[in-house]
Amino acid sequence: MASVKEYKCLNCKAGLTFDPASQKWKCGYCFSEFTKAQLDVALKEEEQEQLDQAMPDLDSYHCTSCGAELIIDGTISATHCLYCKSPAIIKSRFTGKFKPKRVIPFKLTKSQAEDLYRKWIKKRLFAPNEFKTQEEIKRVTGVYAPFWLFDCMVDGEIDGEGTKVSSWTVGEYRYTKTKYFRVVRKGKIKYHNIPVDASKKLDDTLMHKMEPYNYNDLTDFSLQYMSGFMAEKYDVEADEAGKVMKERVNDYTEERLKDTVHGYTSYLVQGRQISVADEAHDYSLLPVYILVNNYKEKEHIFMVNGQTGKVVGDAPISFLKQLVFAGSIFAIVWLVAVFGGALIV
Amino acid sequence: MFKRTAGLFLLCILMIFAYLPMALAFQSANVDDTLNLLTDQQVKELQSLIETTSLEHNLDLAVVITDQTEGKSSRDFADDYYDSKGFGVGEDYSGLLLLINMKDREVWISTTGRAIDIFTDARINAMVDSITGFLSDGNYNQACTEFVNQVRNYAVQGVPAGQHRINTDPGTYMERVIRQIQSPLVYIIPLVIAIIATVLASLSSKGKVTINNRTYEEKDSFQLVDTQDHFIRESVTQMKIPNNPGGSGGGSSTHTGSSGSTHGGGGGRF
Repeated sequence: MASVKEYKCLNCKAGLTFDPASQKWKCGYCFSEFTKAQLDVALKEEEQEQLDQAMPDLDSYHCTSCGAELIIDGTISATHCLYCKSPAIIKSRFTGKFKPKRVIPFKLTKSQAEDLYRKWIKKRLFAPNEFKTQEEIKRVTGVYAPFWLFDCMVDGEIDGEGTKVSSWTVGEYRYTKTKYFRVVRKGKIKYHNIPVDASKKLDDTLMHKMEPYNYNDLTDFSLQYMSGFMAEKYDVEADEAGKVMKERVNDYTEERLKDTVHGYTSYLVQGRQISVADEAHDYSLLPVYILVNNYKEKEHIFMVNGQTGKVVGDAPISFLKQLVFAGSIFAIVWLVAVFGGALIV
Repeated sequence: MFKRTAGLFLLCILMIFAYLPMALAFQSANVDDTLNLLTDQQVKELQSLIETTSLEHNLDLAVVITDQTEGKSSRDFADDYYDSKGFGVGEDYSGLLLLINMKDREVWISTTGRAIDIFTDARINAMVDSITGFLSDGNYNQACTEFVNQVRNYAVQGVPAGQHRINTDPGTYMERVIRQIQSPLVYIIPLVIAIIATVLASLSSKGKVTINNRTYEEKDSFQLVDTQDHFIRESVTQMKIPNNPGGSGGGSSTHTGSSGSTHGGGGGRF
């Protein structure tokens, strides 16, 4: 059993890559296009992938196109040959417990992601010019990021103090009456597919900002979607991710129950009891474009949701630019206040 | 023929007599009654009343009754008259002038120097109200006497606590621009706006979390199992409403006359 998978063009045997725009597989040499069904049929015999069986891991592989030997980073599960750019899928990293259940295939093409980056960087008011003009756009990479998708049932209770304030005037006195209530709300909620970043390499807060993904595109996992993209396998165990999920669920539940408290001037939650049951998780891969820029020895990460196109990133901030910006705002408002103000004073 | 000549002569005599009071009118330094609405006696009495008041309170007083305002508004005419005739006591030319403008049937009290502070808008309004009451009845002497008496009355009370001047004079555009430049607000507000805008623009560069507590909630799965709302206690607080914020003093509106001197005052119609 080959441990490295490379999808070959059915016509010319060159490497096939998944094209997000057409949701088909394209050959870069003879421009043939294949649908998932066509590939499934053609690759039938070898495609009865036995991913359930764990395969021994490897830390290097031979490119099936050019024969070069390539070292692979610990968590990378899909990549390109450094020399001939042929896509390669490290099969062992999708087997056993690393077999993803579902995947959202890329919807956004690399050039769309590059355009989004160009637009985004143009709007970075305070990014230094050197950073803005860095020609790093070509390094935008499409990555299938590992996520745990959690389902759970929640029983929640919040207990707190609500007040109703009324006031009236008698003669020269103003009276304010505050009524205090103990307000309790209990509820049950079912949560579905809460995503938690399962990669240590990818920044948790940035990945959280990538949400939400549209789960309508969630399909059963197939290695074919990996072709032409990078992929990471998880290195955060489900138990650990479950803790993150529970924290989020606690807050969601509290807010949800709080939304049912009406008719009070103020309401303060003083205690909550939230229990999570019937927890279930799936290992899934979600698409994201990543660009890491180095500027003055600091990494600045730019990300695009590979499905929805939502952009998140951080750019260096130039103090000088902030100063110029603040100065111009000050000058404009000052001019308006002086010359405009003189018209109405 | 003779009868007619005699009649004409008589008419001339009568006319001379009719105009005599004007020609022989008592010349008063502080009362200028160009329309002879006051008798000589009344002018004399008014003049002496003004002189005592002036000495007692170091305020100059003038009364002008006219229907010739040289095309000026009552306010400007009163201010200019006061300035041009050299009224006023002391370095700040403290004093008041009462103008009875018979052309526009308007009354105006112009204040200068210390009088601006003593005669706040509220006091001026009260004075104008009582004076126009007499004027409406054609009671010119009493109106003038009332004016001087009210001046004495308020001069004794002095400047009310909390009094402040309010410049109502818009001035020329450039003057207003200069006044704006000197105002600290014109620096504080832009500074605050600039800082807030910069902070907001800097923070917005990082992406936002765009999910909420409903994003992953399964549709229609939320059930409210129990709600409890128990009344615990209540409390009532009582607070006295502060009356008349800003104190009883009130403001004195000021403006700058054509000669460059600052005047206050106010007026009304009768």
